[in-house]
Amino acid sequence: MTLGEWAARLRYRYVPDHIVGEVLGRRWMDNVIPVTLLLALSIYLIATIPNFVAYGNLSDISRQIGEFGLIVIGMTIVMLAGGIDLSVGSNFALANLTALALINVAKWPVEAAIVATVGVGALVGLINGFLIGFLRLRAFLTTLVMLTLLRAIVELLLQRYSVQIASSDVESDAWDFIGAGSILGVPLSTMVLIVTAIIAQIVLTRLRIGWRITAVGGSRRAAYNAGIPVRSTICLSYVVSGLLTGLAGTLYAARLSGAGPDTGLGLELTVVTAALLGGNSVGGGRGSIGKALVGAIIVSLLTNGLVRLGLQNGSSSMAVGLVLLLAIAIDVRWVRWRHNLHAKVYVSPAYLALPKAPSFAADAASPYAMNDRLGNVKIIGLGEIDGPEDVILDADDNLYCSVRQGEIVRFLAPDHVRREVYAHVGGRPLGMAFDKDGGLVVCIAGMGLYRVDKQRNVQKMTAETNRSAFSIIDDSRMRLADDLDIGPDGKVYFSEATIRYGFEEWVVDALEGRGNGRIIRYDPASGGTRTILRNLLFANGICVAHDNKSVLFAETWGCRVSRYWLEGPKAGTTEIVIADLPGYPDNINRGSRGTYWVALAGARTPSYDLAMTMPAFRRRMARRVAGDEWLFPNVNIGCVVHFDANGAVLESLWDLKGENHPAITSMREHRGYLYLGGVTNNRIGRLKLADADPQWTGESSYWGGSR
Amino acid sequence: MRRKHIGAALGFVFTLTGMAAYARADGIDDPRRSDYFKTFEGKTIAFVPVTMGIDLTEGWAAVMKKQADRLGMKFEIRDPHFSADAGTQAITSLIAEKPDVLVVHNPDVQSYARLLKRAEEAGIHVVQINMRSNYNSDVYVGADWIGIGEAEAQGIVDKCGAGTSGKVAVLQGQPTSGSDSGMMKGVENVFTKHPEIKTVANQAGEWDATKARSIISTVIQQNPDLCGVVGFWDVMDLGAAAAIKESGKPIALVTSGGGEQMACDNVEKGAFEKEIAYQVMDQGRDLNDMIVTVLESGQQAGKLKAVVYSPQLIISKDTLRPGLCWSAKDLKK
Repeated sequence: MTLGEWAARLRYRYVPDHIVGEVLGRRWMDNVIPVTLLLALSIYLIATIPNFVAYGNLSDISRQIGEFGLIVIGMTIVMLAGGIDLSVGSNFALANLTALALINVAKWPVEAAIVATVGVGALVGLINGFLIGFLRLRAFLTTLVMLTLLRAIVELLLQRYSVQIASSDVESDAWDFIGAGSILGVPLSTMVLIVTAIIAQIVLTRLRIGWRITAVGGSRRAAYNAGIPVRSTICLSYVVSGLLTGLAGTLYAARLSGAGPDTGLGLELTVVTAALLGGNSVGGGRGSIGKALVGAIIVSLLTNGLVRLGLQNGSSSMAVGLVLLLAIAIDVRWVRWRHNLHAKVYVSPAYLALPKAPSFAADAASPYAMNDRLGNVKIIGLGEIDGPEDVILDADDNLYCSVRQGEIVRFLAPDHVRREVYAHVGGRPLGMAFDKDGGLVVCIAGMGLYRVDKQRNVQKMTAETNRSAFSIIDDSRMRLADDLDIGPDGKVYFSEATIRYGFEEWVVDALEGRGNGRIIRYDPASGGTRTILRNLLFANGICVAHDNKSVLFAETWGCRVSRYWLEGPKAGTTEIVIADLPGYPDNINRGSRGTYWVALAGARTPSYDLAMTMPAFRRRMARRVAGDEWLFPNVNIGCVVHFDANGAVLESLWDLKGENHPAITSMREHRGYLYLGGVTNNRIGRLKLADADPQWTGESSYWGGSR
Repeated sequence: MRRKHIGAALGFVFTLTGMAAYARADGIDDPRRSDYFKTFEGKTIAFVPVTMGIDLTEGWAAVMKKQADRLGMKFEIRDPHFSADAGTQAITSLIAEKPDVLVVHNPDVQSYARLLKRAEEAGIHVVQINMRSNYNSDVYVGADWIGIGEAEAQGIVDKCGAGTSGKVAVLQGQPTSGSDSGMMKGVENVFTKHPEIKTVANQAGEWDATKARSIISTVIQQNPDLCGVVGFWDVMDLGAAAAIKESGKPIALVTSGGGEQMACDNVEKGAFEKEIAYQVMDQGRDLNDMIVTVLESGQQAGKLKAVVYSPQLIISKDTLRPGLCWSAKDLKK
């Protein structure tokens, strides 16, 4: 190894390039800018304004944030549903006036007045909602008109009642408490905000209606097609906004008791600014209550800070305007920029030096020497199936395969001509195995581990494993469950090829050459799922050894087969069984007479092996060249390799013309025949094995004594 | 002359006590003088107007600033720019900062009332200027609004008596403000005694000239024989004057305001029939005196409860003379 190679190996082993892309991919990255802004603003205000953190001041600011935050939450909900509510400014003024008129002039009891005021706010929301949701008017224009209309109503009412309101003083402890009281040192309005925020968060993230609102905002048409009542959902979002505005108006009325014409003037703009600045999208579908609160706190601190800094006329509206521009820029730019950057840096190739590949030239003296033993196999289901990744046979000789349409297709014994859809499982079913009770356990890419029982009911076994402590991406979900096998105790060992990519992106994982795969154990008895091996180079085929003491597994990009000891002195350790395959191993299955079969989905090439030692080159390629121009691993020709328990290769079976089985992903031995499947094939092959045990079946090998 | 007398008197005293050697001293120290300056050194005066940028608040601020500079006090302005909510934020934060005197110009009688009480409880002397709140703090300096309202109404009664339609519009600023509630009371006091005056409109222009203009032009269209308009603030009433001028009708506009040069100019042009003025410069002087008084008194905040009404100045064609009005332009000099 040269010094350069050594340095490259160290650099790519210890510098975690992939983390950058993973961090950028997290949803919480949306909040980074707002939260940073909030921290910076707080530090600035604390540093420049004396007593800013004094209890009195904080409690007063939080009282104002309480009212403001409620309206921002309402606006966020409307924006999540894809709308905008500009009428909040006037609605707020109307609520303030209603509360004061009812309490000061009409002398209503406080509780009744609050209910009525909130009701008035909600009614305004309902009118908005009816016009926008049901009559499908434009949200922007409708609420703008409502803003003007309500403002006019407020002014008319002010002329009538303002003097009466101002000249009467109400002696009500309850009303005073709402305006100036605190619970456990926290101002009442802040308490109301906290409670509302918690409820809104639960509704939005945990309840059906919350999901519907987000779905409608994300794509109205898709939501409609999914059967969501779009119109009433939109209507509801405005009612919530109106209701919260009414509540905020009540709190404001109790705090100031002032029925001035400036109440709520320009509030709609400040509220929209706060909602956007927190990171909520104006287009809908993206946002959260947390974002709303961060935005509300930033804008409140800013306006409060500007008043306290004693700036001149109009400067605070100017500041809010500038912040609004900033927020819009963030909304549009940051999100798009982050996606672009994420797409660019997510792929982070690693250094991978493979051992020298044995020759498979036809005249080579190795067991891999090419032959044409697969050239003349019997073809099953030609053109009737699409991509049988795995094939398996049951005790009655029926042949099952997992196909691209998300189905398990069964060819009926004895001639395997008639076929039926055995079960529709969805996703992309890959590896399969029968359990003790004859249930068919399937690994499904994008879904996890599923089981089809004899009555053909499909049940999920597991789709979640323990999350590793320092993983940035959520590795508790299964993205690409690949192959499985079952131990005598019923425990399922299955591989997940990669945690960084989905099934369609397998080639990107190949390009990366990082150990992104893992092996997971599912225990049906306890229902527990644990990851037992990590950092595997595309963990693929997996097979419990004949003696049940270990598990054999293949690492596709590592071109090797390893053994993980389940019991005995080496329990829990891993050792390599075949270190230098000439191709990319896929499924591993048991053969008769104590042997094993492994499918090679493709053959190694010197150019690709070289590229794997040049991560910088591959990164450049991934960033600059379109995906279909990339250097691909060769998956145009493969073979089946037969080996014994010690890893000694006995023979290999090739298809020289590449017509029937150019790439093989699985094979099963059954009563002296070998059945072949391929993830991109349109057929299954059947080959008579000369020296196999003609009675041997997988079924008997695994469960022979027990059933 | 006076100096000579003092000198002679002193000489006499010193001679009497037999201390002729010191007879050369030609002045004596006032023991209260240093205490006086010490009282104000480093004190803070905070001013929360309804808005800056209008003659009234700019005038008061200029006068107060001059005194603050002279006495070594800090003078701060927090401008909420016509927003009661921003104003409450300003006052709230000032309560935390504890200035020695808080001068407040209330947007209405209620919004700040509770806060002003809290400020005085926190030991801050609160001086309310021109627009009072429902809470009576240490000092109120400002116009006698009921008196001004009565004078304005009387001015209209004089013009719109017998032989006219007697139709009058009242253009308020903000009905819940300390000024309007008083002025309205004054106007009612006079109009009830004059049944020939019919109030055809009573609306609020919210201190905004544009709004005032649209209100009055609507009123004129509805009442082509309108005789007079009682306006509550000259800056806003410029809009009303414009509407009257547009209509081309001889409608009398009586207003009130801070007596700035603009008022004299408009009376001279005939746009205003009359302005009942409260002189801003004098009010500033009153503010200064009361600030000095509360600080010197050493009393706890909230004990004094003093009221200083500003005298009325009537600006009309009869009283007009150079120097009657003050000029905001000169403040900067």
